[in-house]
Amino acid sequence: MSGITQSTALWYASRATGVVSLLLLTGVTLLGVLVNRQGRLPGLPRFVVTGLHRNLSLLAVAFVALHVLTAVFDPYVTIGLVAIVIPFTSPYKPLWLGVGAISLDLVVALIVTSLARARINRRFWRALHWLAYLAWGGAVLHSLTASTDLHRGILLYLLLACIAAVAGAVIWRISQAGRELPQEERAAATLDMMSPRGVRSPARRGPRETIR
Amino acid sequence: MTYGTTVPHPGQPGEPLDRPADSAALPRLLPAQGAVPVDLRTHLHRFGHLPYTGRAARLIPVLQAAGLTGRGGAAFPVHRKLAAVAQAGTRPVVIGNGAEGEPASEKDKSLLWISPHLILDGLQLAAEAVGSDAVGLYLSRHPRLLDKLHAAIAERAAAGVDRATVEIFDAPPRFLAGEESALASRVNGGPARPRFKPPMVFERGVAGRPTLVHNVETLAHLALIARFGPDWFRAAGTDDEPGSMLCTLHQPDGRRDVVETELGTPLRSLVTLDGHTQAVLSGGYHGAWLPAADAARMTLSNADLRPAGAFVGAGVLAALPADRCGIAEAARVARYLALESAGQCGPCFNGLPRIAAAMAEIASPRPDPRAVTDMIRWSGLVQGRGACHHPDGSVRFIRSALHVFQDEIILHGQGRCVDPARRPFLPLPADTALSAADWS
Repeated sequence: MSGITQSTALWYASRATGVVSLLLLTGVTLLGVLVNRQGRLPGLPRFVVTGLHRNLSLLAVAFVALHVLTAVFDPYVTIGLVAIVIPFTSPYKPLWLGVGAISLDLVVALIVTSLARARINRRFWRALHWLAYLAWGGAVLHSLTASTDLHRGILLYLLLACIAAVAGAVIWRISQAGRELPQEERAAATLDMMSPRGVRSPARRGPRETIR
Repeated sequence: MTYGTTVPHPGQPGEPLDRPADSAALPRLLPAQGAVPVDLRTHLHRFGHLPYTGRAARLIPVLQAAGLTGRGGAAFPVHRKLAAVAQAGTRPVVIGNGAEGEPASEKDKSLLWISPHLILDGLQLAAEAVGSDAVGLYLSRHPRLLDKLHAAIAERAAAGVDRATVEIFDAPPRFLAGEESALASRVNGGPARPRFKPPMVFERGVAGRPTLVHNVETLAHLALIARFGPDWFRAAGTDDEPGSMLCTLHQPDGRRDVVETELGTPLRSLVTLDGHTQAVLSGGYHGAWLPAADAARMTLSNADLRPAGAFVGAGVLAALPADRCGIAEAARVARYLALESAGQCGPCFNGLPRIAAAMAEIASPRPDPRAVTDMIRWSGLVQGRGACHHPDGSVRFIRSALHVFQDEIILHGQGRCVDPARRPFLPLPADTALSAADWS
């Protein structure tokens, strides 16, 4: 393999940040699927899941930006800045980079609407947020086709693991949907879960302390 | 016990019984002769005929000059709400809010029972002001109260007093049933649960139309301002907070009264604040506690109460006796507030039960010291993140209890309590919401 020149450095950086972006976007999607799960994820309170979902999505955007800019400024292939957001306008692999551009557009739309969530109609925000699945699917398709990196070896397994994780989470979530408590009963159920000390706590098996 | 009752006089035939020529005289909304329901004839005799203005929006500058603010708790300027609805679009809806989901408040039910015609007058005038012919009254589900209002409306229809037909809607006995968007949801035929905003109810509420929602006491004041003018209204109260208001008073000896008083009245004139009282709750279960010594120096005004972390709200004042456990009371209310969550927003239906459990822990002998830190952490997480202000208000109530009853917490840490029997003081309904049906 020849030494890393400036051009190949950009190319490697684009591929590397692409892989990291895919992993981050997969993580964001997983957290999004799991965030509504009732009951506790062991070790992860709900506010952690939502917080992580938000922070990771911002980190993912940063890596996607790096991925896109290194690819565009790599002199080896001609992509053009416009092709970042307008799909199918790239001279190099217009279809598969176009899929990536669509995915990027969707991610930006999701983030902008989420940042402005307090100001926009909630139903509209929810409807738009379903497009997250399309954004992630587009990212996977783009990853598979824009380069051959993920066609073999450890990166192939990584890709398969990402797809399996999201598919598994979605299937699990659908199976849980039938067993969710109606909203009106949720607070009472949580209250039942909390047992005040002295009622069921094992430490209080002895005679109850009298209050002076 | 009514504060500021004027001595009733028979008056001349044809003269209104209690013309408020003495501007500052109370009571205004309640009849002078006591809690006797007023029928249409007596109402017209005392106050004269409904003064329709003849044109939409004409009443708005009058209300602005009077400085009338909402009496449902939020104290929003009435003229601004009317203007917003009048400008929001076509075919607005007007609903009078008499649901009074707050268990510690009785003033709306009392006013509806005693002076329904003032409220119904206010509804008609508000409808005229925004150009609406779709009018409703939203009431808590008491059969006798509903019958009374049906009868009052029928009486007015027979006498040709009302221009718009008033439809009655009943509310489930939920704490949140009186919230504006919950009201709109219920009137639309759904459950009485708050909705996310935007859009605001005054833009899209009942049947997707701009909806004006006013507390029934606000409408009653409106009806009197339309008759006697803004200067009359301002003759009572303070410059910044004019007028009179109804208060539900809980005395330390267990007596409960609904009184009409002017804003700026010293709190010690309303509730007993001697050595028998340790603290006062102002503003209901989304309000805040005040130590009795502080409250004794304050008046019924946001100018005095806001800096202390409390507010006037819907006029609930509860004086907790010195021989009761304030933390146990707060824990009971916290449990009620948690169970009254609509279950729509994670921070609320997860956070409030956890906070309530922590309060129960603190109220028990030798509590786990982590309970207080848990509660402080959870309080910070639930605020400002829901469709309504239920978590925010509940946290305000609980935080103030932790602050005011600090000494009690220390006692509990030593295994002691000022009231080991934990006798309840504050009123709470016996039934909790168990299923979806309880919200409709």
